[in-house]
Amino acid sequence: MIKELQSAQVIVCVGTGGVGKTTMAAAIGFWLAGQGRKTLVLTVDPAQRLKTTFGLKTAGEWIQVKENLWASVVDPQKTFNDFVRKASGEDPSSEKLFQNNLYKQLTTTLSGSQEFTSLENLLSAVSSGKFDVVVLDTPPAQHAIDFLNAPQKLAMIFTEGVARWFRDPGGKKENFWKGLVQSGTKQVLKILEKLTGSQFVSELSDFFQKIHSWQGKLESRAIDAHRLLVAPGTHFLLITGFDEAKFKESQGFAQEIKKSGYQLSGVVVNRVFPHWYRENRAAGGPLQKKFESYYQERLKTVEHFAGKLGTQISVVTIPEQNEDVHDLAGVAELAEVFANRIQPQ
Amino acid sequence: MEIRFISGKGGVGKSSIAAAMALNEAKKGRKTLLAELGHQSFFESAFQKSIKNTPVPWKQGVDVVLWDGTSCLREYALHLLKSETLYRLFFENSVSRTLIQIAPGLSELAILGKVTSGPPRNIGPALNYEVIIVDAFASGHFLALLDAPVGLSNAVQIGPMAEQTKSIIGVLKDKAITQFHLVTLPEELPIQETLETSQKLQEKGWGAPKIWINRCLPDLVESEPNPEFKKFVEGHLERQKLATKQFPGAQKLPWVLSNHFESSVDQIAEVLR
Repeated sequence: MIKELQSAQVIVCVGTGGVGKTTMAAAIGFWLAGQGRKTLVLTVDPAQRLKTTFGLKTAGEWIQVKENLWASVVDPQKTFNDFVRKASGEDPSSEKLFQNNLYKQLTTTLSGSQEFTSLENLLSAVSSGKFDVVVLDTPPAQHAIDFLNAPQKLAMIFTEGVARWFRDPGGKKENFWKGLVQSGTKQVLKILEKLTGSQFVSELSDFFQKIHSWQGKLESRAIDAHRLLVAPGTHFLLITGFDEAKFKESQGFAQEIKKSGYQLSGVVVNRVFPHWYRENRAAGGPLQKKFESYYQERLKTVEHFAGKLGTQISVVTIPEQNEDVHDLAGVAELAEVFANRIQPQ
Repeated sequence: MEIRFISGKGGVGKSSIAAAMALNEAKKGRKTLLAELGHQSFFESAFQKSIKNTPVPWKQGVDVVLWDGTSCLREYALHLLKSETLYRLFFENSVSRTLIQIAPGLSELAILGKVTSGPPRNIGPALNYEVIIVDAFASGHFLALLDAPVGLSNAVQIGPMAEQTKSIIGVLKDKAITQFHLVTLPEELPIQETLETSQKLQEKGWGAPKIWINRCLPDLVESEPNPEFKKFVEGHLERQKLATKQFPGAQKLPWVLSNHFESSVDQIAEVLR
């Protein structure tokens, strides 16, 4: 794993919510910066204290944390607005789109929008040439694979076939539609209005009309993002917690990600055992013994799981830290632990 | 009918507690459904059973089901349109699929519509359970789920959709029917997030949630010779005290030292009893 991480251009940390992805991404970034690489850590959802530590008050900016290390929080609304401005060629009328309620919703809550904006930020950071490596912390997902599927899902909405229908759902403007599907379309329109209300339908039509001139760019941007994700310098790290079910899912994820052409270079099993459970620990009483057999079994499962993944994917176990990581000192400590654990045994 | 939503930060043990609660309710003789939200089932691999959109028996009188936005919406649309043809016309093309993705909150509303589809609303296929335990999404996503009917209710003021939305909100706000539960751990980040989520729930008019502090240890450090381990337990107990102060009235649940989900669930169910 070390070689890949040290030479990577992009490191994408994927995983479900609640496994310590953000702190792990920060620690890996810290470690790389210590190795002399100009590093940017792109976070999505950092805890308030980590945000304060990194000085990330204004979302979207690259803030220098220390030598060789920058950090930034993705701001979905700002990212989308900047994207729209650029894609429309700085057309001032594009600002009207920002008032569309659907647009506001889309850019924040629509499935795929957080992922798309993360990738958009990634593309900007990489193309700036300012960094040797960008570590991307992905949005918390129910399943690790969601991150990879999301941008395509979003791009599909903006394909011309679909967009054309929404631009003019009544078929009034395009004669082409009239002859073909008029009655069917009317039915669908009625159902749509019944399901969502006519205000929504007009907002939808308005939205698609406004984005007409640049909607193709969203699709091509999603393609650019995909190209970067499958590039040889891009490595995926799956961050997981110890959880039998999560392991099973991780196996499936590893297979899936490989099929799609992404490089999964490692799995980091976080918080796998507490600090005191070290090799030369003192003997314990009844409670300690209970904990020990619990962690012993857990580690066996991790070994078994690592075996199933094969030799191409390294599995690294990270113990719990003494305290929650919520400041730079904590990140530094975790970075050191990570550096030790990825050394070949 | 009673509906209980279980939420909390990712990784705190929502699913274990939801499953344990379900077992406990069934033990009391109540017809119980354990409902999971989303499109991939965790319980499926945990219980080694196929779990889809129709309830199947799990054990000890508890049925289990997986509800996702798309299938709930399909069912609701069929109910609303009352015509198989119209339904197929609408749902089997890419335009509709796009719409479902785009319409803010539509998917979430469909899920909540399904959860509240039993008495007193009685919409769609019968949901004859006395209690439904919903293993809901993690905090952020859960708040977004609850926002959906409110947002839609503002956007859509008249028509059958609006009526449905209002009646869904009515059931969710009826304290005799719906309860909200948040699970936390005796750890800084989960405690912080639980405080924030609890505040937001109250601000939005859903009422104060019941809090559960999971993975608590008994105060048995005396007989532990290893000072490092002792420190670990003492730290944990300290944070437990803090959590109890932050959440007066919260119930503590033990740290079950088992790597097997179902046996952990059984042990928690014992404690709940």
